[in-house]
Amino acid sequence: MCGVCGVLYKTKNGEKSAPVGVALTEMLATMAHRGEDSTGITVANHSEKTDFIVRLWAEDVHGAKQHIGEAAAVHNITPVIDRMNGNFIRVLVKVNQDQDIADQVKTLSTFFNQVEGVTLHSIGNVSEVIKDTGTAEDLDLRHSIRAMSGSHGIGHVRLATESRVDITHSHPFWAYPFADVTVVHNGQLTNYHKLRRKYEAGGHKFLTGNDSELIAVYLADKLSRGLSLHDSLSGALGDLDGTFTFLVATSDSIGYAKDRWAAKPLVIREDKHVVAIASEEVALDTLGLGESQRIEPQENEVMTWSI
Amino acid sequence: MVDIDASQMTTRDINLRLKSNSFSNNGITVKNSQGRHNLGVGLSSNTEIKFEGNVGYFCGGLSSQCQIVIQGNAGWAVGDNLMSGSIAVEGNAGASAGSTMRGGSLFVRGNSGARTGISMKGGHLVVGGDSGFMTGFMMQKGRIVVCGNVGEAVGDSMYEGEIFVGGTIGSLGSDAIVQDASEDELIEVWEMLAKEGIAERPKFKKIVSAKKLYHFDSLERLEKNVI
Repeated sequence: MCGVCGVLYKTKNGEKSAPVGVALTEMLATMAHRGEDSTGITVANHSEKTDFIVRLWAEDVHGAKQHIGEAAAVHNITPVIDRMNGNFIRVLVKVNQDQDIADQVKTLSTFFNQVEGVTLHSIGNVSEVIKDTGTAEDLDLRHSIRAMSGSHGIGHVRLATESRVDITHSHPFWAYPFADVTVVHNGQLTNYHKLRRKYEAGGHKFLTGNDSELIAVYLADKLSRGLSLHDSLSGALGDLDGTFTFLVATSDSIGYAKDRWAAKPLVIREDKHVVAIASEEVALDTLGLGESQRIEPQENEVMTWSI
Repeated sequence: MVDIDASQMTTRDINLRLKSNSFSNNGITVKNSQGRHNLGVGLSSNTEIKFEGNVGYFCGGLSSQCQIVIQGNAGWAVGDNLMSGSIAVEGNAGASAGSTMRGGSLFVRGNSGARTGISMKGGHLVVGGDSGFMTGFMMQKGRIVVCGNVGEAVGDSMYEGEIFVGGTIGSLGSDAIVQDASEDELIEVWEMLAKEGIAERPKFKKIVSAKKLYHFDSLERLEKNVI
């Protein structure tokens, strides 16, 4: 089944302290019945743009820390281990203001994918992906999600149907190797293998065997060709086959796409200050929005919002 | 009128409580329905039930005789397989409202989503606002009335029954055609609306099956071999 949600606070230049973590946790907790295999979120916060935030998972974190240090010395990269939490490692790498951001993310992606014993979950300049097995309450307990603030974010509760239940196969999926583009998805893609072969032949890399990752790669490919987020989502309606309702977060926007069969649910509430999106209305009720416009997207629809 | 607070109860307990109340003639109000799924499912007696707030999926499904009022929005498949009685949604309904309903009446004051009245087998379904794509998909009997607009592919592959549309038609589905509604039919539909407190009298378009997809008398190749 799966449940998706998203929230964006509409303030100029990105509100730095809107309670995105609380909103996502509350929404995901009320949708626990849609899937308890795993839960994940992306939160974007524009206050700190001086570092890339790299999220890694490792079976043996101390070994991984050592491997990162050894590899860094060889590759002339200076990663700073910011936090270790269970099997998770949060690494910061200084942004070089004189160099293209996309190039730097590509270099970092290549680097971390080569480090022994670590799995790369995401690289962001303003956003961060946190995903783990269990419920939204479990996620908050282990990763203090409620304390996270920012301008916007997306979230997911998973009932696995298409690939294994582990943290790497949880949502959100990062659009490797494009910073700050992440996707949460409710549905199944039926032309996954065909498109995956096509994108792999074109040089794209897949980090998991989950069909939802294809959406992230698809959007990354479109965005890298200079298409707008809206146009990229519109393209997905025709190019992706199957049943899907997915949300995407970028550094400054969120958006959704809903398939031609309207097979997966989505409800939106929007007022002057905030737009909130979720698989079920019950999730939106937790935000106490009061007077707001209610939209229930129909078939073949996309929409985007920016901070 | 009895009140129960859903926030402190499991869905099973709420439904058991609603069933036990069915044997008295008192109405019952469910407070804090909080978008829960499967509320008021499988009830079977003449009782008034009011849900205060939004409800989730399948509300009132499989029920007969009772009169359910939802003071909020309903999720997917409200009134799924409704047998008799009535359900009124004061807000909007999600996809598949009244799916496979066999009797009774379902009223949605706001809009309803995709596949409204899918495979409907009887009864009346009235939507005060707009209704989504594939409304009346494979419907077999009964009547759907949409005061506003309908989306794409309305009445796709419908067998029998009729769909009245007050606003615009996105497109007709396979084998669906528009017919002139008779004066008597229009009066009947307007009376249905009046019962739900809708005073407007739109000039409805009537959609029925062209029955070009009917092949019930032709046998499959293997069946012919058997005969």
